[in-house]
Amino acid sequence: MGKKVLVVDDDPDARLFSVTVIEEQGYQPLEAQDGVEGLKIIKAEKPDLVILDILMPRQSGIRLYRELKTDKSLKKIPVVVLSGIAQKTFLRSQKALTEFGGAEVPEPEFYLEKPAEADDLVNTIRQAIG
Amino acid sequence: MEIKKILFVTRFEALGFDALRALLSLRKAALEHVVFVNVIERDKVAMRRGIGYRKKEEIRLRETANIRFIDWAEELYEQGTEVGAYIVVGALVSEVIKAARKEEADLIVIGRSHKSVLEEFYSGSDITELIRRASIPVMVFKPLHENAFVIAKPFQKPLLATDWSPASLKAVEYLMGLKNVVEHIDVVHIASQKELSGSSAMEIQKTRKKHRKNLDEVCDRLAAANIDARSHVYIGNPAKEIQKAAREHGASMVVLGSSAKAAWVERWIGSIPREIAENSVYPTLLIPPEPE
Repeated sequence: MGKKVLVVDDDPDARLFSVTVIEEQGYQPLEAQDGVEGLKIIKAEKPDLVILDILMPRQSGIRLYRELKTDKSLKKIPVVVLSGIAQKTFLRSQKALTEFGGAEVPEPEFYLEKPAEADDLVNTIRQAIG
Repeated sequence: MEIKKILFVTRFEALGFDALRALLSLRKAALEHVVFVNVIERDKVAMRRGIGYRKKEEIRLRETANIRFIDWAEELYEQGTEVGAYIVVGALVSEVIKAARKEEADLIVIGRSHKSVLEEFYSGSDITELIRRASIPVMVFKPLHENAFVIAKPFQKPLLATDWSPASLKAVEYLMGLKNVVEHIDVVHIASQKELSGSSAMEIQKTRKKHRKNLDEVCDRLAAANIDARSHVYIGNPAKEIQKAAREHGASMVVLGSSAKAAWVERWIGSIPREIAENSVYPTLLIPPEPE
Protein backbone atom coordinates (compact mmCIF):
# COMPACT_ATOMS: atom_id res chain seq x y z
CA MET A 1 0.00 0.00 0.00
CA GLY A 2 1.30 3.49 -0.89
CA LYS A 3 2.21 6.23 1.53
CA LYS A 4 -0.68 7.98 3.24
CA VAL A 5 -1.47 11.56 2.30
CA LEU A 6 -4.12 13.43 4.29
CA VAL A 7 -6.03 16.25 2.59
CA VAL A 8 -7.61 18.72 5.05
CA ASP A 9 -9.94 21.06 3.19
CA ASP A 10 -13.58 22.13 3.68
CA ASP A 11 -14.17 22.62 -0.04
CA PRO A 12 -15.30 19.30 -1.54
CA ASP A 13 -14.15 20.28 -5.04
CA ALA A 14 -10.67 21.16 -3.77
CA ARG A 15 -10.52 17.88 -1.84
CA LEU A 16 -11.57 15.93 -4.91
CA PHE A 17 -8.83 17.60 -6.95
CA SER A 18 -6.10 16.77 -4.43
CA VAL A 19 -7.38 13.24 -3.80
CA THR A 20 -7.43 12.51 -7.53
CA VAL A 21 -3.85 13.73 -7.92
CA ILE A 22 -2.76 11.67 -4.91
CA GLU A 23 -4.44 8.47 -6.14
CA GLU A 24 -3.03 8.84 -9.63
CA GLN A 25 0.46 8.97 -8.14
CA GLY A 26 -0.12 5.73 -6.22
CA TYR A 27 -0.44 7.22 -2.77
CA GLN A 28 -3.26 6.43 -0.35
CA PRO A 29 -5.48 9.49 0.18
CA LEU A 30 -7.22 10.34 3.46
CA GLU A 31 -9.71 13.18 3.81
CA ALA A 32 -10.82 15.62 6.50
CA GLN A 33 -13.12 18.60 6.13
CA ASP A 34 -11.84 20.82 8.95
CA GLY A 35 -9.00 21.16 11.41
CA VAL A 36 -10.71 19.25 14.20
CA GLU A 37 -11.36 16.23 12.01
CA GLY A 38 -7.91 16.60 10.48
CA LEU A 39 -6.12 16.37 13.81
CA LYS A 40 -8.17 13.34 14.79
CA ILE A 41 -7.15 11.54 11.59
CA ILE A 42 -3.51 12.62 11.94
CA LYS A 43 -3.37 11.11 15.43
CA ALA A 44 -5.10 7.91 14.37
CA GLU A 45 -3.48 7.34 10.98
CA LYS A 46 -0.09 9.08 11.27
CA PRO A 47 -0.04 10.04 7.55
CA ASP A 48 3.23 10.53 5.70
CA LEU A 49 2.16 13.95 4.44
CA VAL A 50 -0.57 16.51 5.19
CA ILE A 51 -1.99 18.83 2.55
CA LEU A 52 -3.56 21.61 4.53
CA ASP A 53 -6.03 24.38 3.71
CA ILE A 54 -6.22 27.39 6.05
CA LEU A 55 -9.68 28.98 6.09
CA MET A 56 -12.00 26.23 7.36
CA PRO A 57 -14.86 25.80 9.84
CA ARG A 58 -14.29 24.69 13.46
CA GLN A 59 -10.49 24.90 13.37
CA SER A 60 -8.32 26.66 10.81
CA GLY A 61 -5.19 25.27 9.22
CA ILE A 62 -3.19 27.82 11.19
CA ARG A 63 -4.21 26.28 14.53
CA LEU A 64 -3.98 22.72 13.24
CA TYR A 65 -0.46 23.41 11.99
CA ARG A 66 0.52 24.67 15.45
CA GLU A 67 -0.92 21.60 17.12
CA LEU A 68 0.93 19.37 14.70
CA LYS A 69 4.28 21.08 14.97
CA THR A 70 4.22 21.29 18.76
CA ASP A 71 3.38 17.61 19.24
CA LYS A 72 6.52 15.55 19.72
CA SER A 73 5.08 12.48 18.02
CA LEU A 74 3.63 14.37 15.04
CA LYS A 75 5.92 17.28 14.31
CA LYS A 76 8.03 15.42 11.78
CA ILE A 77 5.08 14.91 9.44
CA PRO A 78 5.71 17.28 6.51
CA VAL A 79 2.99 19.76 5.58
CA VAL A 80 2.05 21.27 2.25
CA VAL A 81 -0.11 24.32 2.85
CA LEU A 82 -2.50 24.66 -0.07
CA SER A 83 -4.60 27.77 0.43
CA GLY A 84 -5.88 31.07 -0.92
CA ILE A 85 -4.42 32.72 2.19
CA ALA A 86 -1.06 34.32 1.42
CA GLN A 87 2.09 32.74 2.82
CA LYS A 88 3.13 36.01 4.45
CA THR A 89 -0.20 36.07 6.33
CA PHE A 90 0.40 32.52 7.52
CA LEU A 91 3.86 33.44 8.81
CA ARG A 92 2.66 36.67 10.44
CA SER A 93 -0.19 34.88 12.17
CA GLN A 94 2.17 32.25 13.56
CA LYS A 95 4.44 35.01 14.77
CA ALA A 96 1.49 36.78 16.47
CA LEU A 97 0.42 33.55 18.18
CA THR A 98 3.99 32.97 19.39
CA GLU A 99 4.09 36.52 20.75
CA PHE A 100 0.83 35.83 22.63
CA GLY A 101 2.62 33.09 24.51
CA GLY A 102 2.44 30.15 22.14
CA ALA A 103 5.36 27.94 21.23
CA GLU A 104 7.58 28.83 18.31
CA VAL A 105 6.80 26.74 15.24
CA PRO A 106 8.88 26.24 12.09
CA GLU A 107 7.76 27.47 8.69
CA PRO A 108 5.79 24.93 6.69
CA GLU A 109 7.87 22.72 4.42
CA PHE A 110 5.88 23.69 1.32
CA TYR A 111 3.39 26.42 0.48
CA LEU A 112 1.21 26.46 -2.63
CA GLU A 113 -1.34 29.09 -3.44
CA LYS A 114 -4.78 27.95 -4.58
CA PRO A 115 -5.63 27.01 -7.22
CA ALA A 116 -2.55 24.83 -7.73
CA GLU A 117 -1.73 23.16 -11.04
CA ALA A 118 -1.81 19.35 -10.85
CA ASP A 119 1.86 19.18 -11.91
CA ASP A 120 2.92 21.56 -9.14
CA LEU A 121 1.08 19.51 -6.57
CA VAL A 122 2.57 16.25 -7.85
CA ASN A 123 6.10 17.70 -7.81
CA THR A 124 5.63 19.05 -4.31
CA ILE A 125 4.31 15.73 -2.99
CA ARG A 126 7.20 13.86 -4.58
CA GLN A 127 9.67 16.33 -3.13
CA ALA A 128 8.11 15.86 0.29
CA ILE A 129 7.77 12.09 0.51
CA GLY A 130 9.32 10.67 -2.61
CA MET B 1 -20.88 34.19 29.84
CA GLU B 2 -17.85 35.13 27.78
CA ILE B 3 -17.87 35.90 24.07
CA LYS B 4 -15.07 33.71 22.77
CA LYS B 5 -16.49 32.91 19.38
CA ILE B 6 -18.75 35.03 17.17
CA LEU B 7 -20.64 33.98 14.09
CA PHE B 8 -20.56 36.90 11.66
CA VAL B 9 -23.41 36.46 9.21
CA THR B 10 -23.05 38.63 6.14
CA ARG B 11 -24.60 39.18 2.77
CA PHE B 12 -21.87 41.78 2.22
CA GLU B 13 -24.24 44.57 1.26
CA ALA B 14 -25.63 44.63 4.79
CA LEU B 15 -22.62 43.96 6.95
CA GLY B 16 -19.05 44.72 6.03
CA PHE B 17 -15.58 44.58 7.48
CA ASP B 18 -16.00 47.94 9.20
CA ALA B 19 -18.77 46.39 11.31
CA LEU B 20 -16.55 43.42 12.09
CA ARG B 21 -13.65 45.68 12.98
CA ALA B 22 -15.94 47.44 15.45
CA LEU B 23 -16.50 44.13 17.23
CA LEU B 24 -12.82 43.36 17.59
CA SER B 25 -12.66 45.37 20.83
CA LEU B 26 -14.19 42.21 22.30
CA ARG B 27 -10.73 40.69 22.12
CA LYS B 28 -10.01 42.62 25.32
CA ALA B 29 -12.68 40.48 26.93
CA ALA B 30 -12.36 36.97 25.55
CA LEU B 31 -12.93 36.99 21.80
CA GLU B 32 -10.54 34.67 20.01
CA HIS B 33 -12.45 33.18 17.08
CA VAL B 34 -14.55 34.76 14.30
CA VAL B 35 -16.56 32.57 11.95
CA PHE B 36 -17.88 34.11 8.73
CA VAL B 37 -21.16 32.82 7.37
CA ASN B 38 -22.55 33.61 3.93
CA VAL B 39 -25.79 31.93 2.98
CA ILE B 40 -26.68 31.92 -0.70
CA GLU B 41 -30.47 31.94 -0.78
CA ARG B 42 -31.88 29.01 -2.71
CA ASP B 43 -33.97 31.17 -5.01
CA LYS B 44 -30.78 32.71 -6.43
CA VAL B 45 -29.62 29.38 -7.82
CA ALA B 46 -32.79 27.28 -7.76
CA MET B 47 -34.28 25.33 -10.63
CA ARG B 48 -35.70 27.66 -13.23
CA ARG B 49 -37.92 26.60 -16.06
CA GLY B 50 -35.77 25.94 -19.10
CA ILE B 51 -32.57 26.60 -17.15
CA GLY B 52 -32.45 24.02 -14.37
CA TYR B 53 -30.17 24.39 -11.39
CA ARG B 54 -27.86 27.34 -11.96
CA LYS B 55 -24.60 25.68 -10.95
CA LYS B 56 -22.48 28.35 -12.63
CA GLU B 57 -24.29 31.03 -10.68
CA GLU B 58 -23.72 29.12 -7.45
CA ILE B 59 -19.99 28.89 -8.19
CA ARG B 60 -19.88 32.59 -9.01
CA LEU B 61 -21.62 33.53 -5.77
CA ARG B 62 -19.49 31.14 -3.69
CA GLU B 63 -16.24 32.43 -5.11
CA THR B 64 -17.30 36.05 -4.73
CA ALA B 65 -17.93 35.38 -1.04
CA ASN B 66 -14.74 33.36 -0.72
CA ILE B 67 -12.61 36.19 -2.09
CA ARG B 68 -14.08 38.62 0.42
CA PHE B 69 -13.64 36.20 3.31
CA ILE B 70 -10.01 35.49 2.42
CA ASP B 71 -9.34 39.21 2.41
CA TRP B 72 -11.00 39.69 5.81
CA ALA B 73 -9.43 36.54 7.25
CA GLU B 74 -5.92 37.64 6.33
CA GLU B 75 -6.24 40.77 8.45
CA LEU B 76 -7.62 38.83 11.42
CA TYR B 77 -5.11 35.98 11.19
CA GLU B 78 -2.25 38.44 11.21
CA GLN B 79 -3.57 39.80 14.52
CA GLY B 80 -3.59 36.29 15.98
CA THR B 81 -7.36 35.83 15.78
CA GLU B 82 -8.69 32.44 14.73
CA VAL B 83 -11.00 32.56 11.70
CA GLY B 84 -13.38 30.12 10.03
CA ALA B 85 -15.89 30.39 7.20
CA TYR B 86 -19.07 28.82 5.87
CA ILE B 87 -20.42 29.53 2.40
CA VAL B 88 -23.57 27.50 1.95
CA VAL B 89 -26.68 27.36 -0.20
CA GLY B 90 -29.91 27.15 1.79
CA ALA B 91 -32.37 28.98 4.00
CA LEU B 92 -30.66 31.76 5.93
CA VAL B 93 -32.00 31.12 9.41
CA SER B 94 -31.64 27.32 9.31
CA GLU B 95 -28.08 27.52 8.02
CA VAL B 96 -27.09 30.12 10.61
CA ILE B 97 -28.55 28.03 13.45
CA LYS B 98 -26.78 24.95 12.08
CA ALA B 99 -23.43 26.75 11.90
CA ALA B 100 -23.89 28.25 15.38
CA ARG B 101 -24.45 24.77 16.83
CA LYS B 102 -21.57 23.22 14.95
CA GLU B 103 -19.21 25.97 16.02
CA GLU B 104 -20.62 26.28 19.56
CA ALA B 105 -20.63 30.04 19.00
CA ASP B 106 -21.33 32.51 21.82
CA LEU B 107 -22.88 35.31 19.75
CA ILE B 108 -24.51 35.68 16.33
CA VAL B 109 -23.98 39.02 14.57
CA ILE B 110 -26.25 39.76 11.62
CA GLY B 111 -27.26 42.71 9.46
CA ARG B 112 -30.82 43.88 9.29
CA SER B 113 -33.38 42.10 7.12
CA HIS B 114 -33.75 43.15 3.52
CA LYS B 115 -37.23 41.84 2.94
CA SER B 116 -39.95 44.28 1.97
CA VAL B 117 -42.70 45.11 4.46
CA LEU B 118 -45.14 42.90 2.52
CA GLU B 119 -42.73 39.96 2.32
CA GLU B 120 -42.07 40.26 6.03
CA PHE B 121 -45.74 40.32 6.84
CA TYR B 122 -46.43 37.08 5.02
CA SER B 123 -43.22 35.14 5.58
CA GLY B 124 -41.85 36.81 8.70
CA SER B 125 -38.51 38.54 8.87
CA ASP B 126 -35.27 36.57 9.06
CA ILE B 127 -34.22 38.54 12.12
CA THR B 128 -37.41 37.73 14.01
CA GLU B 129 -37.11 34.09 13.05
CA LEU B 130 -33.46 33.98 14.07
CA ILE B 131 -34.07 35.66 17.42
CA ARG B 132 -36.83 33.15 18.14
CA ARG B 133 -34.82 30.09 17.18
CA ALA B 134 -31.37 30.99 18.46
CA SER B 135 -30.38 29.74 21.88
CA ILE B 136 -27.51 32.23 22.04
CA PRO B 137 -27.53 36.06 21.93
CA VAL B 138 -28.09 37.75 18.58
CA MET B 139 -26.66 41.14 17.73
CA VAL B 140 -28.34 43.06 14.92
CA PHE B 141 -26.12 45.53 13.13
CA LYS B 142 -27.52 48.26 10.95
CA PRO B 143 -27.02 47.89 7.20
CA LEU B 144 -24.25 49.59 5.34
CA HIS B 145 -25.49 52.55 3.38
CA GLU B 146 -23.44 55.28 1.85
CA ASN B 147 -24.47 57.72 4.54
CA ALA B 148 -24.60 55.27 7.42
CA PHE B 149 -22.09 55.24 10.21
CA VAL B 150 -20.69 52.26 12.01
CA ILE B 151 -20.17 52.71 15.71
CA ALA B 152 -16.49 52.09 16.34
CA LYS B 153 -16.82 50.49 19.78
CA PRO B 154 -20.35 49.10 20.18
CA PHE B 155 -19.67 47.50 23.56
CA GLN B 156 -18.18 50.63 25.08
CA LYS B 157 -21.37 52.32 26.30
CA PRO B 158 -24.39 50.04 25.98
CA LEU B 159 -27.87 50.96 27.02
CA LEU B 160 -29.53 48.07 28.82
CA ALA B 161 -33.31 48.17 28.60
CA THR B 162 -34.93 45.93 31.17
CA ASP B 163 -38.51 44.83 31.67
CA TRP B 164 -37.50 42.49 34.53
CA SER B 165 -38.13 39.45 32.35
CA PRO B 166 -35.79 36.46 32.86
CA ALA B 167 -34.11 37.27 29.55
CA SER B 168 -33.44 40.87 30.48
CA LEU B 169 -32.03 39.79 33.84
CA LYS B 170 -29.81 37.34 31.98
CA ALA B 171 -28.63 40.32 29.90
CA VAL B 172 -27.22 41.86 33.09
CA GLU B 173 -25.10 38.75 33.70
CA TYR B 174 -24.03 38.81 30.09
CA LEU B 175 -22.79 42.40 30.29
CA MET B 176 -20.98 41.67 33.55
CA GLY B 177 -18.93 39.12 31.64
CA LEU B 178 -17.76 41.92 29.33
CA LYS B 179 -16.34 44.17 32.02
CA ASN B 180 -13.01 44.53 30.24
CA VAL B 181 -14.75 46.09 27.24
CA VAL B 182 -17.72 47.94 28.71
CA GLU B 183 -16.96 51.37 30.15
CA HIS B 184 -20.40 52.53 31.25
CA ILE B 185 -23.94 51.17 31.13
CA ASP B 186 -27.15 53.15 31.21
CA VAL B 187 -29.87 50.91 32.63
CA VAL B 188 -33.41 51.92 31.69
CA HIS B 189 -36.89 50.71 32.40
CA ILE B 190 -39.82 52.00 30.39
CA ALA B 191 -42.95 52.30 32.49
CA SER B 192 -46.24 52.32 30.64
CA GLN B 193 -48.67 55.24 30.78
CA LYS B 194 -51.17 52.83 32.28
CA GLU B 195 -48.92 52.20 35.26
CA LEU B 196 -48.96 55.92 36.00
CA SER B 197 -52.69 56.37 35.87
CA GLY B 198 -52.97 56.36 39.66
CA SER B 199 -55.31 58.77 41.40
CA SER B 200 -52.61 60.84 43.06
CA ALA B 201 -49.17 62.24 42.36
CA MET B 202 -47.87 60.21 45.26
CA GLU B 203 -49.04 56.95 43.74
CA ILE B 204 -47.32 57.81 40.49
CA GLN B 205 -44.16 58.72 42.35
CA LYS B 206 -44.34 55.41 44.19
CA THR B 207 -44.35 53.58 40.88
CA ARG B 208 -41.33 55.53 39.72
CA LYS B 209 -39.59 54.91 43.03
CA LYS B 210 -40.24 51.17 42.80
CA HIS B 211 -38.74 50.97 39.29
CA ARG B 212 -35.84 53.19 40.28
CA LYS B 213 -35.06 50.97 43.26
CA ASN B 214 -35.01 47.86 41.07
CA LEU B 215 -32.80 49.64 38.54
CA ASP B 216 -30.41 50.77 41.26
CA GLU B 217 -30.08 47.19 42.42
CA VAL B 218 -28.97 46.27 38.89
CA CYS B 219 -26.52 49.21 38.90
CA ASP B 220 -25.13 48.06 42.26
CA ARG B 221 -24.50 44.59 40.84
CA LEU B 222 -22.73 46.12 37.86
CA ALA B 223 -20.71 48.40 40.14
CA ALA B 224 -19.64 45.34 42.15
CA ALA B 225 -18.25 43.99 38.87
CA ASN B 226 -16.37 47.29 38.36
CA ILE B 227 -18.75 48.57 35.70
CA ASP B 228 -19.95 52.13 36.01
CA ALA B 229 -23.75 52.25 35.62
CA ARG B 230 -26.59 54.73 35.96
CA SER B 231 -30.33 54.09 36.14
CA HIS B 232 -33.12 55.87 34.26
CA VAL B 233 -36.90 55.53 34.21
CA TYR B 234 -38.75 56.53 31.06
CA ILE B 235 -42.48 56.54 30.41
CA GLY B 236 -44.40 55.72 27.26
CA ASN B 237 -44.06 53.54 24.18
CA PRO B 238 -41.17 51.16 24.99
CA ALA B 239 -39.61 51.00 21.52
CA LYS B 240 -39.69 54.79 21.07
CA GLU B 241 -38.49 55.51 24.59
CA ILE B 242 -35.61 53.04 24.36
CA GLN B 243 -34.45 54.80 21.20
CA LYS B 244 -34.82 58.14 22.90
CA ALA B 245 -32.85 56.98 25.93
CA ALA B 246 -30.08 55.61 23.71
CA ARG B 247 -29.84 58.94 21.93
CA GLU B 248 -29.96 61.07 25.08
CA HIS B 249 -27.23 59.10 26.81
CA GLY B 250 -24.99 58.66 23.78
CA ALA B 251 -25.28 54.87 23.82
CA SER B 252 -23.09 52.77 21.57
CA MET B 253 -25.57 49.88 21.46
CA VAL B 254 -28.95 48.76 22.79
CA VAL B 255 -29.11 45.54 24.82
CA LEU B 256 -32.35 43.81 25.71
CA GLY B 257 -33.80 40.42 26.50
CA SER B 258 -35.59 38.76 23.61
CA SER B 259 -39.09 37.46 24.15
CA ALA B 260 -40.20 33.90 23.63
CA LYS B 261 -43.43 34.88 21.89
CA ALA B 262 -44.76 32.67 19.14
CA ALA B 263 -44.26 33.83 15.56
CA TRP B 264 -47.92 34.66 14.95
CA VAL B 265 -48.13 36.66 18.16
CA GLU B 266 -45.14 38.75 17.11
CA ARG B 267 -46.53 39.28 13.65
CA TRP B 268 -49.91 40.49 14.84
CA ILE B 269 -49.16 42.14 18.15
CA GLY B 270 -45.51 42.96 17.59
CA SER B 271 -42.61 42.71 19.99
CA ILE B 272 -40.34 45.38 21.38
CA PRO B 273 -37.08 43.50 20.77
CA ARG B 274 -38.14 42.88 17.20
CA GLU B 275 -39.10 46.50 16.62
CA ILE B 276 -35.80 47.74 18.04
CA ALA B 277 -33.75 45.16 16.13
CA GLU B 278 -35.50 45.97 12.87
CA ASN B 279 -35.70 49.74 13.12
CA SER B 280 -33.12 51.09 15.51
CA VAL B 281 -30.11 52.97 14.20
CA TYR B 282 -28.13 51.39 17.03
CA PRO B 283 -26.56 47.96 17.00
CA THR B 284 -28.92 45.78 19.02
CA LEU B 285 -27.87 42.86 21.15
CA LEU B 286 -30.69 40.46 22.01
CA ILE B 287 -30.24 38.02 24.85
CA PRO B 288 -32.54 34.98 24.77
CA PRO B 289 -34.17 33.55 27.90
CA GLU B 290 -32.73 30.39 29.42
CA PRO B 291 -33.95 27.35 27.46
CA GLU B 292 -36.87 25.64 29.20
